[in-house]
Amino acid sequence: MAEVILKDVCKTYGSLHVVKDVSLHIQDREFLVLVGPSGCGKSTTLRMVAGLEGISTGTIQIGSTVVNDLPPKDRDIAMVFQNYALYQHMTVYDNLAFGLRNRKVSEDKIKQEVMRATEILGLGPLLGRKPQQLSGGQQQRVALGRCIVRHPQVFLFDEPLSNLDAKLRAQMRVELKRLRERVETTSIYVTHDQVEAMTLGDRVVVMKDGCIQQVGTPLDIYNRPKNRFVASFIGAPAMNFLPVDIVQKGDFFHAEAQDFSIRLPPQRAAIFARTNRRPVTLGVRPEQVCFGPCPAGHETAFSAPVEVTEQLGAEMVIGVRAGDTLMMASRIAPEAPIAVHDHVPLWLDPRGLHFFDRESEEAIN
Amino acid sequence: MSMAPVSAAHRPRLLGEKERFMLLLIAPAALVLLSFEVVPILIGMNASFRDWSLVNPQKTWVGLRHYVEVFTDPVFLKIVLPNTFILMVSSVTLSLVFGLALAHLLKRQFFGRILIQTVVLLPLTIAPVITATMMRWSFNDQFGILTNLLAVIGVPQVGWLSERWPSFIIIILTDVWIWTPWFTIILLAALQGLPKEPYEAAQIDAASKWGIFTHVTLPLLRPVIAVCVLIRAIDAFRTFDQVWVLTGGGPARSTEVFSVYAYVEAFVNLDLGRGAAAAGAGAIIMLAVGLGLYAIVNRAMEVSR
Amino acid sequence: MSLSLAVSSTGPRAQAGGFLGLLGVAGRRVFFALAVVAILLIFIGPVAILLLTSVRPPSGVYYIWRGWEFTLDNFAEVLAQPVVLHSMWNSFVLSSIATVASLGVTVGSGYMLSRFTGPIQRSWFGIIYVFRTVPYISWVLPLYLVTTNLGIYDTYLGLLLPHVAVHVCFFSWIMKGFFDSISPSMEHAALIDGCTRWGAFRRVALPSAMPGIAALAILSWLWTWNEFLFGLILTAQRTPVITVTMAQFVTETGTEWHLMSATAVLAMLPALLITIFGQKYVVRGLRM
Repeated sequence: MAEVILKDVCKTYGSLHVVKDVSLHIQDREFLVLVGPSGCGKSTTLRMVAGLEGISTGTIQIGSTVVNDLPPKDRDIAMVFQNYALYQHMTVYDNLAFGLRNRKVSEDKIKQEVMRATEILGLGPLLGRKPQQLSGGQQQRVALGRCIVRHPQVFLFDEPLSNLDAKLRAQMRVELKRLRERVETTSIYVTHDQVEAMTLGDRVVVMKDGCIQQVGTPLDIYNRPKNRFVASFIGAPAMNFLPVDIVQKGDFFHAEAQDFSIRLPPQRAAIFARTNRRPVTLGVRPEQVCFGPCPAGHETAFSAPVEVTEQLGAEMVIGVRAGDTLMMASRIAPEAPIAVHDHVPLWLDPRGLHFFDRESEEAIN
Repeated sequence: MSMAPVSAAHRPRLLGEKERFMLLLIAPAALVLLSFEVVPILIGMNASFRDWSLVNPQKTWVGLRHYVEVFTDPVFLKIVLPNTFILMVSSVTLSLVFGLALAHLLKRQFFGRILIQTVVLLPLTIAPVITATMMRWSFNDQFGILTNLLAVIGVPQVGWLSERWPSFIIIILTDVWIWTPWFTIILLAALQGLPKEPYEAAQIDAASKWGIFTHVTLPLLRPVIAVCVLIRAIDAFRTFDQVWVLTGGGPARSTEVFSVYAYVEAFVNLDLGRGAAAAGAGAIIMLAVGLGLYAIVNRAMEVSR
Repeated sequence: MSLSLAVSSTGPRAQAGGFLGLLGVAGRRVFFALAVVAILLIFIGPVAILLLTSVRPPSGVYYIWRGWEFTLDNFAEVLAQPVVLHSMWNSFVLSSIATVASLGVTVGSGYMLSRFTGPIQRSWFGIIYVFRTVPYISWVLPLYLVTTNLGIYDTYLGLLLPHVAVHVCFFSWIMKGFFDSISPSMEHAALIDGCTRWGAFRRVALPSAMPGIAALAILSWLWTWNEFLFGLILTAQRTPVITVTMAQFVTETGTEWHLMSATAVLAMLPALLITIFGQKYVVRGLRM
């Protein structure tokens, strides 16, 4: 087990900048998730840590060793691949034993390690089979087993759940979480799925276009997104964005758009105190758009026509017209008497109001 | 382990670990290629610039004279080159069409399928030189089985191998017979590996069988067909065995293709220099044709991707 | 478009469409059967002529039909000639070794072409392509000089190495295709599991490419077995090969069609066996 330090790591292919100045300090035993849309450089970053891609500039350090020039086999890492990458011509047992055999571990010790992994992952009945005879979930479990038998310094996960169907993915996510309790190894986990990022990560790194956008705990990122991209990427259903003008009316500040106006609570309006009229983007998560009369003390009520309703059984999600945007509101009681075209009363939870500069898209705090 | 020395700029060295591995992988192939193809070719090129007659090997340097002679030889320009290209185009086209049809037939399951497949692969088991010899014998003016069979069904008896076009058609058909199995087996493998979904979609769209073939199968097979045609066309350009055995280039050099022309110049007219120049001329033409084909095939692959 | 087609073609007959559709079910069966018979005739024809000639007495080949006059004497006669068995053995050894050697030499080359990018890969691919287009005729003749100078003319080695050289370009290219169809992530896993690049190639990529390599091995064996031009130019009395020996029955020692055919039938047998038992693997291996 070891910490992993990336210092100003860049990756270029010719004139193409895939990863730009990524610096990260991953603590010993930490589970770090790299999340972002496809092509954001997260996988390339992981593969540089693995040694499968060369590093253009910068350094990567595992433990106390700079590994830039070390081949993958000497980095003491293990990796789980999106398409499992099991050795098709070997049995499950041999797949698990392969890495240990390469390191000249005795067969007795190998057997012991394989059995331990088998027990943790429930692979017992599969040991004699070939990968083609396994389901996707089973194959991915073997791939996990291949990592844990090795006791490496670092685990690397490259979108390990993306090839599984939705139900299996949820199940494997829980299993990964349980595995974390038993095997505490420094881990770097790449995904494009923000749910995996939120549920698995001790810390989450959001990337876009080869640059780190924000690093923080899942809650940190959820509650205090640094810019509009992070805010939109994390959270489902996605955050609503509404271009508004901040207008001072007497002692109060209002956020206004066409057919939409709310009064900002004084504590949130403080940031606008010095400007008179300013175009910003208002961000609010669907779960913080509430249905019903506004509680006393909040002045964020508005009403809007309903355009769509989605009945989910446990809750209802509705979309209302606010200015030019369709604003989604979730967490509405499933029995609420709402139909399309109704004008419904809504209010915004003032703790959930985010403001972004319309030019730079940075959060305004 | 201590900190690895980190140079200021991480420029990859000229021969890094990866590059050395790449060279190691190709080393055996490159070595064989160098000693038994590149060196002979260089020797041949050297010969093509010299007066290197087998009867009087003085080896005087004559520069490009042989090349000029070859490129101004009416036999080369008016007979050899057209023949070579006709053989290339017709042999490749016909074997492709037959191979595609046979692969389509063999794709289905029916009683005796394996037997038919074995029969179709029979040409692979006979040396082309033997096939050509047998064809020559079968088209013998007097005793040829095929000559007589054709006469029985009413085809006028001609000197099949003593006139230009009949003998050239026999050359083409023999070549097609020899190479059809090759197309068949590759296309059959490709057909079996095609995904099912496009076919199901086409069936739901009620496409006709021919429509399915032209709109689903052919586009899916395009990359395989492109590579097959590329490989075969290059091979067909240098056909030697069949032509040499069937007609020896005759009658009166009328069925010579360029390999035969080079062989005749070198060994029949005993002029190694001229023969080497003829071979070199063919190589230059083939290189141009090959690069053109490569560009076309590359485009075909891209479109289908 | 799909809608209009669906409306116009309602019956099962219309679905088959075109010419075959007009024939109806029975007609289509007949057409299919006729096609099969035609194929059998075309492909068996030359082989049948060969077989027929091989069991005719020497004079019989000059008659179109001479009743049921068949004999096995031709086989006895060619088998009595030591050169026939000798050259069959030579061809067998040569085909087998040349196949193994060609595959062994080109597998790494194909792997490199498939897995790497950059100037070395591009140059090698260019070299392979260019030398693939060079006609045999322009290097077979000087090859005679090369093998003579190396002192390996008319030996196994002198025939083997040129055969491998012929295959280098083509096989590298085909091998590239085999590796292209295998996801490289398995090798990446092997690298991380402690393999060197060489280990990942040999222990993971190579076994995965085996079906393709087996298919190529079968084809390679058949090609070498049937090769003529190299044998003609690079061998003499010491290491005769079967194709040249067969051809000589017709070219040099008079026109002994019956003997040539008998030898050809004998030479066909191993190739036929390999084709019959190998076709399944060829089709499976070439499926990418």
